[in-house]
Amino acid sequence: MLRNPLSTCVAVVALLMATSASAQLQVSPTTVTLDRPESSQQILVTLVTEQRRQDLTRSVEYVVESPAIVTIDREGLIHPLAEGTTRLLVKHAGGEAAIPVTVSGLVEPRAVSFLHEIQPVLTKGRCNSGGCHGKAEGQNGFKLSLLGFDAESDYAALVADARGRRLDFAEPETSLVLRKGAAQSPHGGGKKIEFGRPEYRRVLRWISEGAAYDVPTAQATVSIEVEPADVVMLAGQTQQLRVTAVDTQGHRHCVTTEADYISNAGHIIEATPRGLLTASDIPGESAILVRYMEHMAVCRVSLPRPGTNFVRPPEQNFVDAHVWNKLARLGIQPSDLADDATFLRRVYLDTIGTLPTAAEARAFLTDATPDKRSRLVDALLARPEYADYWAMRWTDLLRADKIKVTAQGTVGLNRWVHKQLVENRPYDDMVREILTVQGPVQSESPAAFFKALDAPEVASRAISQLFLGVRIECAQCHHHPSERWSQDDYAGLAGFFTGMAIKRLPDGTEAVLSRGGSDQKHPRTSLPVAARALGAAPADFTSVHDRREALAAWVTAPDNPFFASAIANRLWAHYLGRGLVEPIDDQRATNPATNEPLMQALAEHMRAVKFDLRAFTRTLLNSRVYQLASSTNDSNRDDRQHFSHARPKALPAEVLLDALCQTTGVPEKFNGWPLGVRSIQVWDNRMPSYFFRIFGRPVRATVCECERSNEPSISQALHLLNSPEINEKITHRLGTARKLAESAKPADEVIEDLFLGTLARFPTTEEKTLMREAFAGNNRRQAAEDVLWAVLNLKEFLYNQ
Amino acid sequence: MLNYRFRNSPQRFCDGLTRRQMLRLGSTGLFAGLSLPQLLRADEQDKLPGKAKACIFLFLEGGPPHQDTFDPKPDAPAEIRGPFQTVPTSVPGTFFTEHCRETAKIAHKFTVIRSHSHNDNGHSTGYFYLMTGRRPNFPDGEHPIPTNELYPSLGSIVGRELGARGSVPRYINMPHPMSAGGPGFYGAEYAPFVIEADPSQPDFEVKDLGQVEGLSAERSSLRQKLLAGLERDRPRQGRAAAMSTYYTKAYDLITSPEARKAFAIQSEPREVREAYGMTQVGQCALLGRRMVEAGCRFVGIDAPGWDVHFNCFPSLQGDLIPPADRAFAALINDLEQRGLLDSTLVVMMGEMGRTPRVNAEAGRDHWSMAQSACFAGGGTKPGLIIGATDKQAAAPVADPIGVSDILRTIHTLLGIDSDKEYPDPLGRPLPIVNGGRVISELIA
Repeated sequence: MLRNPLSTCVAVVALLMATSASAQLQVSPTTVTLDRPESSQQILVTLVTEQRRQDLTRSVEYVVESPAIVTIDREGLIHPLAEGTTRLLVKHAGGEAAIPVTVSGLVEPRAVSFLHEIQPVLTKGRCNSGGCHGKAEGQNGFKLSLLGFDAESDYAALVADARGRRLDFAEPETSLVLRKGAAQSPHGGGKKIEFGRPEYRRVLRWISEGAAYDVPTAQATVSIEVEPADVVMLAGQTQQLRVTAVDTQGHRHCVTTEADYISNAGHIIEATPRGLLTASDIPGESAILVRYMEHMAVCRVSLPRPGTNFVRPPEQNFVDAHVWNKLARLGIQPSDLADDATFLRRVYLDTIGTLPTAAEARAFLTDATPDKRSRLVDALLARPEYADYWAMRWTDLLRADKIKVTAQGTVGLNRWVHKQLVENRPYDDMVREILTVQGPVQSESPAAFFKALDAPEVASRAISQLFLGVRIECAQCHHHPSERWSQDDYAGLAGFFTGMAIKRLPDGTEAVLSRGGSDQKHPRTSLPVAARALGAAPADFTSVHDRREALAAWVTAPDNPFFASAIANRLWAHYLGRGLVEPIDDQRATNPATNEPLMQALAEHMRAVKFDLRAFTRTLLNSRVYQLASSTNDSNRDDRQHFSHARPKALPAEVLLDALCQTTGVPEKFNGWPLGVRSIQVWDNRMPSYFFRIFGRPVRATVCECERSNEPSISQALHLLNSPEINEKITHRLGTARKLAESAKPADEVIEDLFLGTLARFPTTEEKTLMREAFAGNNRRQAAEDVLWAVLNLKEFLYNQ
Repeated sequence: MLNYRFRNSPQRFCDGLTRRQMLRLGSTGLFAGLSLPQLLRADEQDKLPGKAKACIFLFLEGGPPHQDTFDPKPDAPAEIRGPFQTVPTSVPGTFFTEHCRETAKIAHKFTVIRSHSHNDNGHSTGYFYLMTGRRPNFPDGEHPIPTNELYPSLGSIVGRELGARGSVPRYINMPHPMSAGGPGFYGAEYAPFVIEADPSQPDFEVKDLGQVEGLSAERSSLRQKLLAGLERDRPRQGRAAAMSTYYTKAYDLITSPEARKAFAIQSEPREVREAYGMTQVGQCALLGRRMVEAGCRFVGIDAPGWDVHFNCFPSLQGDLIPPADRAFAALINDLEQRGLLDSTLVVMMGEMGRTPRVNAEAGRDHWSMAQSACFAGGGTKPGLIIGATDKQAAAPVADPIGVSDILRTIHTLLGIDSDKEYPDPLGRPLPIVNGGRVISELIA
């Protein structure tokens, strides 16, 4: 049976230190067994005081009693030299721990297995990475499977391909794989293994023994463990990790030097190939993905900000509680509540994709009732623009591309989504209907979505990413390098869509059908793979005509592990500007949410409100976290992932154009559409528009939210500053500027109205003084235009603060 | 994010042989023409610092017929040869067709690759393949702008790697966006600045750079004062900060005398403009030179109309070949006179060649198996013909040069490491160019 390494395998040494009477030195493991010539063991040494734990692995003194038996380097790594026993002494500040060490298996070592012992060397050396021999066409005629997911073909490539010239059994050390790998012969990839190091010696021994694919004495690894798995670090500190592989027999051996380490937030915590973490001076959290063969483990690191006196703000609901918990732990003080004007503009733009008018802004800002924010939230969720805006966003994701699914198909899909939103249909119901839709592509239904997904694999990839937040496309060609999904999972999921067909109808239109279907073939072995959902048992199709019904039932089942959190995270990301999981549709154990308890609570809440998206949104919008200011304090300035302040968001292309139209009082004339139609209502994603193009309207070629570009560019700035189109709106004879100029309002009021209609706030005294300069001459019309031009070009206007 | 660097081994030849294998085979005489020093040099050329500082890429969209331009087949039957005569060029032994009149005069100043070949026979897909080096994941057909949903294009990469200098943007498209010229996952920062206007027109001006109607200089500066006053003391983070820098750049473009001057093609002497030809492609080439002088790194000129399926010869000899021929020749001469040819790489090519046999409607159809690509300046060796097609102009006789080879060569000439990697949106390390080899014969 496995032993818990930390609770039982730690030698504890009491230290006498001046600063703290209770300082302890913890050394692990308590005994070391090295049973192969190439074995190594990472020692971890931790100084534990009342306040904290500090890694001393690289600063303590190591002494081996019999230096002929083992050697240890400054990094705390022990290597065997001769069979026998000895003791390792770990000395620090007057304390000393003694660790018994046993070395065996050197005189008659057990044979090396390619499958279990050489593959990790190729992976660690990055030989089989996507940039080298692991890419689809290999490199220089030597092709390995990506990260070693296909050991049999890798073995053949090494042993048999190229007429076997890569291994030399007569003179193993002249084998091409060793000479190239150690850069003794010219190697495009450079030096990948160090001559004489254990990895090198293991490959050499493997060749000398005859290069076996597998040997009976070798055991498959069933899991890996990383220590520490959860650690709090301080700026500038380092922490050595240890990775232990557990095999089918329960034997444990250290693979620290053979594992890969990937930090998901390198600007906070950096990880070296040796497993050493270094903390930056940016407080935050990081997950270190540890990979050894196909096994993954995660080490979570927190880097709290020192010296913050955390003052817990009030809580509106559970969202706040979870965010404050996290911020308290990290020593980050959240920003203050945003003022009314910022909240007003933010909640309008986020919820209904529409700016408040000057009149709406004035009314809200002068309203003194304490619950006006939550009443505004309710009012916005009931407005028709809510359905317009969200229908646009959902048809983006449902790939309503006119070219792909015809204009009629795009209209049908847009109308269907719009209707679901007007009726506030529960999201799970809506998805169930999408997943099982059949009928004409042109009908008011989600059929067009399946017209866009024209092959079983395309459908399974898109549906997995869109509704489950799981990306499986990597698994099409290889075992997903940082997830458990394999090519079997990939083919299994595609098997739900093999009964689908697009049928041509007599009138030339098309219909989506799904009947029967057969299991999808494995992309590599070509053997059929039983259809099954991700992580689920093979599906039972005995009572369904349409295979997709079985999938829809699984997707929307209350215990589905992905569905609720995927939609919760999607909405969270929309309103808060960043997902708890990011990218928002990439949920996996190795890409944890930045606040797991909150993620779970949100998913739970989504189920509790029975997938009522408006109710869920109301919870988000009423939280204090949503209503925080975007201005920062010393402690949260660098925070990018814990929602301690609001993040300015770029306005989507359509929303920005609508805002410009509303503000200037001049609607956009879209070719073929009645005057007054708003951009967020236009279903035609291919309507030519310079504005939409430069501001990044998506083309609806994928189900990824990331297709919508919100990156700034010179062309955008030029267009806003200096284009005839915008100038025409500003100076239009029926426009806002002209109307205000020709009104009886004094200059100050004109300025006020222009600010309220664009920024949803009153101008400050200084701003008013500055703007009055425009009115110094006699030309009120020009003055109003110039002020309007200036506010439209403010970043405050272009961004949702 | 994973950020290990892997070097792509440069000694791979186009048929996948390694240098060792080649040497082994070489002794049997198969590769007798290639000496060891040449082979070794191929190894190092990947790491050359690169002479070129900018690239002007003339893209002949639609598929220019190689046999009717730079790869004539005078001895082939008429249905393959076509009606055009073959003429000698300034390089003894090199022949073009009669409508490549201007380029024939300066054949010693550029090199033609006649063995370019790939297997994507579609327009938007072939264009995408050439511009990104990635196999398109969409079917050919009407696939409007932009096709670069994921992969960055050549121009975006060059702009990113070489960075901005001077008063104009680093990556420019004209006279409309190149449909495969987008930035992909690099994002809008690396998107081309598009000059969406025809510089051969008398009223040519760059969109949104002109004087706004009715706005006096006085009013303009008042507006700037208002805006600057409102923006003062506002700390910006993230994208809003980026937008601020773009505002500065845009404002610089509007107000910079250098930029304004660079765009003012009307100020070119009449004889220079006429040397390029008063055509869209001609004036784009001239404007391209002006952009490079002002600091642009990659000018992508899209010259459409080459998809000649029907009755092709009148339009080839009238509207298509002479303007491109003239533009390319004038550009090389002009760059040379100004001492810019060494530091400016000029490429002219399309996404495909055309079928060997003239079809029933007197046109030629898609044929990506054989194409000609012209290279000048930027550290290339001039006056050569690299590779050859068979007697029907149907396929390279040996050593086809693929898209990755072309891209790797362009990057190398510009001093860009083709093996540099960026993580794609899925976090996969993506090298700038996947595979391919530097066309060593082309490097001076």
